[in-house]
Amino acid sequence: MRVMIQLRPSSDVVAAVADPDLTATAADVADRLPGVVLDDTYTPVAVPHPIPAPGGDPLSLRQPLTYSLAREDASVMVRGEIADDELSTRLNLLPLLRRDVVGVYADPVIETSLVCGGDPAVGDWHDVARLMRVEELHAAGLDGSGTALAVLDSGVNAAHVARQLGRDVTLDTTRSWSPSTVEGAPGEFDVDHGTMCAFDALITAPRASVIDIPLLLSRARGGTAIGGVLSDAVAAFSHLRGVLDAQPVETRALVVTNSWGSFSPRWDFPAGHPGNYSDNPSHPFNLIVASLEQAGADILFAAGNCGGDCADSRCGFADRPIVGANSHPLVLSVGGVDVRARRVGYSSQGPGRLSNRKPDLCAYTHFSGSQAYAPAPDSGTSAACPVAAGLVAAIRTRWPAARLSPAELRTVLRRTADHPSGAGFDHDLGYGIVDPAGVLAALRRRAGA
Amino acid sequence: MSLPPSGGGRARNVAPMVLITVRLPLEATLPGAMHHYGLAKDEVDLNYGLVPIDPVQGLYALRVTEDASHRLGMAVEGPYADPKIEPFGPPL
Repeated sequence: MRVMIQLRPSSDVVAAVADPDLTATAADVADRLPGVVLDDTYTPVAVPHPIPAPGGDPLSLRQPLTYSLAREDASVMVRGEIADDELSTRLNLLPLLRRDVVGVYADPVIETSLVCGGDPAVGDWHDVARLMRVEELHAAGLDGSGTALAVLDSGVNAAHVARQLGRDVTLDTTRSWSPSTVEGAPGEFDVDHGTMCAFDALITAPRASVIDIPLLLSRARGGTAIGGVLSDAVAAFSHLRGVLDAQPVETRALVVTNSWGSFSPRWDFPAGHPGNYSDNPSHPFNLIVASLEQAGADILFAAGNCGGDCADSRCGFADRPIVGANSHPLVLSVGGVDVRARRVGYSSQGPGRLSNRKPDLCAYTHFSGSQAYAPAPDSGTSAACPVAAGLVAAIRTRWPAARLSPAELRTVLRRTADHPSGAGFDHDLGYGIVDPAGVLAALRRRAGA
Repeated sequence: MSLPPSGGGRARNVAPMVLITVRLPLEATLPGAMHHYGLAKDEVDLNYGLVPIDPVQGLYALRVTEDASHRLGMAVEGPYADPKIEPFGPPL
């Protein structure tokens, strides 16, 4: 364990430490502290001594104090390490063996706090493009051309996306689809969540053909709140099955990005009930997800915004908030990191309810991007999911499902993901952060095999 | 057990609808399904229709009234939860 050790050496040593013109080493101050490996790279620091006013309590810090660095008052801090299995013994023995030891303190790792909802953007979409290795992908011919990208959300405003991206957007109006209760034309919906998702996917796959499915408008009435019901998602996936079946088998490429889910068990049967959704692979929606994946679609779901550090206020599941299809074993569940590669505090942590090893991986979020919520950033795992979907759509340009099945593609993404701690897998980041360079290398190896 | 609150009723139907699944031959149609199960027009969400879930298995979804669901009993599967779904961003 890393520790800070406070000592009161001779007044000459204290004076040397306190004098900025002199240099004292850890060995000068603490010479051979038994059981402590001193950190020689850490320059000893003089610690001032609190002095109460005349007549004050010499033991209390709850009074007016002055702080003295005088050689007869001050102490000195050094840094070191004590073996974990000796910690208790050493902490008891040190002050007894060395009368100059005043105290031993923990030296914890300190970090800046995680990004939460409402925090300003961390970087912008050009940072995301750089991290997603967009130039390298496009140089390799992986730009989404010929790939169908279904955005199941609140509808897309294609003109806004094109303006923000600075390039044309391909909208597939023929294969777009709306629930019967939704009015509006594909690509012409108000700028909102779905527009953000389309933009974020097209950062990496700008030539993909967007299939606009305004699923989350099916229950919106009057106000700005958006939402739908799961039975409409069943119908949307059924439509996509038709889209997929109409593609030639040898060139099938359909990527389905879903930045939505169920926040609360309030709308569900309890786990264990045959009609339950959250924990039940036999629910019709979970079945149609499996059926569409088996037919060759790549399906991605946002992991959700119910992370332990700063969960969305709507989160209603007491534990394991990655539920239903968002935790399906045949989809990629995508958590969120900022462009500094740190998990955002709201990104839901596993294990998942249908599959333990969730999320699968993380992609970038909380950046200035689509301006759909300007000046607020593209945020939530809602943004991370289409960022990952853009990579999948780019890969499909040259690697249709007949050449690389959805399961094989998920494996490539998991195996190449970069886990900052080298953990391999954990329930915060899954297998790690998407690594397009690693994916490119893996695909090249596979092509050469 | 009573049904959980529906994630949202359909404005075009008066009676609350529930999600069920049925097994029918390939290429089944909504009129064919209604005939097969003896369902009246006001018992079925006609706008939702007959939705193929797994064409190979002949599995379809329907939205029907709770009364119709009870009457059909073991002839169909469900009712299933039809929860409200919402976007995962921006976090509130």
